[in-house]
Amino acid sequence: MNLEPYVEFAKKAFSREATYRIEVLMEIGSLVLRVYILRALWTALYAQNAAPTNLPLHSMITYATIAMLMSLILEVDGTRLIREKIREGTIATDLMKPISVPLYFFSDGFGQTLLHALLVIPSLLCALLLVHIDVAPPATFAAFLLAFVIGYGVNFFLNFLMNCIAFWTLETFAAQLIVRWVSDLLSGQVIPLTLFPGILGRIVFALPFAAIYSTPLLIYVGVIPPDQWAASILAQLLWLVLFAALSSLVWRAASNRVIVQGG
Amino acid sequence: MPGTLGALRSFFSTQYDDRVAVDDVSFALEPGELVGYIGPNGAGKSTTIKMLTGILVPTSGEVRVAGLVPWKQRKENGRNIGVIFGQRSQLYWDLPLVESFELLRAIYGVPSELYRRNLDEFVDILDMGSFLRTPVRQLSLGQRMRGDFAAALLHSPKIVYLDEPTIGLDVVAKEAIREFIARINAERGATIILTTHDLADVERLCRRIVLIDNGTLIYDGDIDRIKSEYGRFRTLVVRFCEPVERPQLDGAQVAEVDGSIARFRFDRNLQRADLLVRQASERYRVEDVSLEEPDLESIIRRIYVEGYGGRSKEDAS
Repeated sequence: MNLEPYVEFAKKAFSREATYRIEVLMEIGSLVLRVYILRALWTALYAQNAAPTNLPLHSMITYATIAMLMSLILEVDGTRLIREKIREGTIATDLMKPISVPLYFFSDGFGQTLLHALLVIPSLLCALLLVHIDVAPPATFAAFLLAFVIGYGVNFFLNFLMNCIAFWTLETFAAQLIVRWVSDLLSGQVIPLTLFPGILGRIVFALPFAAIYSTPLLIYVGVIPPDQWAASILAQLLWLVLFAALSSLVWRAASNRVIVQGG
Repeated sequence: MPGTLGALRSFFSTQYDDRVAVDDVSFALEPGELVGYIGPNGAGKSTTIKMLTGILVPTSGEVRVAGLVPWKQRKENGRNIGVIFGQRSQLYWDLPLVESFELLRAIYGVPSELYRRNLDEFVDILDMGSFLRTPVRQLSLGQRMRGDFAAALLHSPKIVYLDEPTIGLDVVAKEAIREFIARINAERGATIILTTHDLADVERLCRRIVLIDNGTLIYDGDIDRIKSEYGRFRTLVVRFCEPVERPQLDGAQVAEVDGSIARFRFDRNLQRADLLVRQASERYRVEDVSLEEPDLESIIRRIYVEGYGGRSKEDAS
């Protein structure tokens, strides 16, 4: 397959995102602020003896800060283009081209992601002025990166599926909001999933959301020890394959019922 | 039903009506043909184009474009076709025009030599040199339309669909676009389906028209034939000095009476205009007369209103 168009899509998305300079700077500012607030919050909570035994305060702050940096990349929803294009009817012109339209959305999203990934470094530097985070050993860091990349894939397909709802309802905002809330909570972005008690904890670890934030983060802070890395990453991969298969089915059904608005 | 209450009711119980958008619209094109595809709003023109491009799957029937089934072989079909929507741009809004072209070059995998040649030619014919580097959102409609034409033809498609390509353009821009379409058809041998409400486009460019209404085919054939069939009828417009009740002229039908103006339709083979004029001035006090020759626009208007009275569609196709 010729990858050139997709590389071009990613490049164009990157330069398009880069034109919103003020927004980019605001994003770093808001991130640093949130890191500071979280540090204050967790420090206060730990001082009240609310601390979980397996996660000391410095690990908790590391977890929260890295989760924030990850969200810089993971909250870029490249596939919202699907929703917009269906509403405006412009998806018709994409479908008339000799390209894989889902892959187009992926590369566009990836281009946007790359720009936001560049923000991670300055954001990290700013955050380091305010908080101290643990530095993981190289092997752990490598495992974290691998888990993060797989989580990125799971997140992409989740967003893709959500936005594909627009093929049927044309309006997906409510559904997206619900999934966003559920996923923020159950993915481990806001609080580590180890804090969920008993049976609830077992359930949230079994859900696909855990593959997005929780697995890479728990690897980084050492809650998932090296001998369990393989099993955790395998579970992520399982979700990735499952979601990819589901997306492919949904896309096939969706593209057979394109209702192009107007005209 | 009053607005708010009606909105509330439709929130709780929405009704869907199944509607047949196109039914038994069968026609075939020869390579290199330029056909006007016309019909009133909602006739099913866009639905047909969507099926031909592969983005809409017909519930029954068969569509083949250069031997391919568009919705089954969407990507392969995409390479063969170029599509231009007058009302919808396929250019990338935030990018300079030329970057949209470069992106399309990558999408279609156009060899760089062909790309160069096509681009140079289009920039020259369509006079795009001055705004090639301007972001698309800053272009005027006429400039954007020229950009869209170049964008749709950069990969030298064999088949081109034009959906109202001159809509909203001024007369000069319209003429430039028409000339360009004629040239693409003549020099590159592209097969073109032209959908438009501006029948001047059709008259200028096409020899054959396919006419549909309510999703069914009502005429498929030469413009000349439909013109000679309907062109027998001329219209004499008479303005009387005062309103006349039921004006009548022998050998002509009253088509319309509006106050002191009456329109008489007559067959040019059976009646002479000068005799009608003399008749009118003998019977009534006449202020002015004029004669209307049938043009395609008035013919099509009559067909929309009265239906096609000529041959049935079986022998038309």
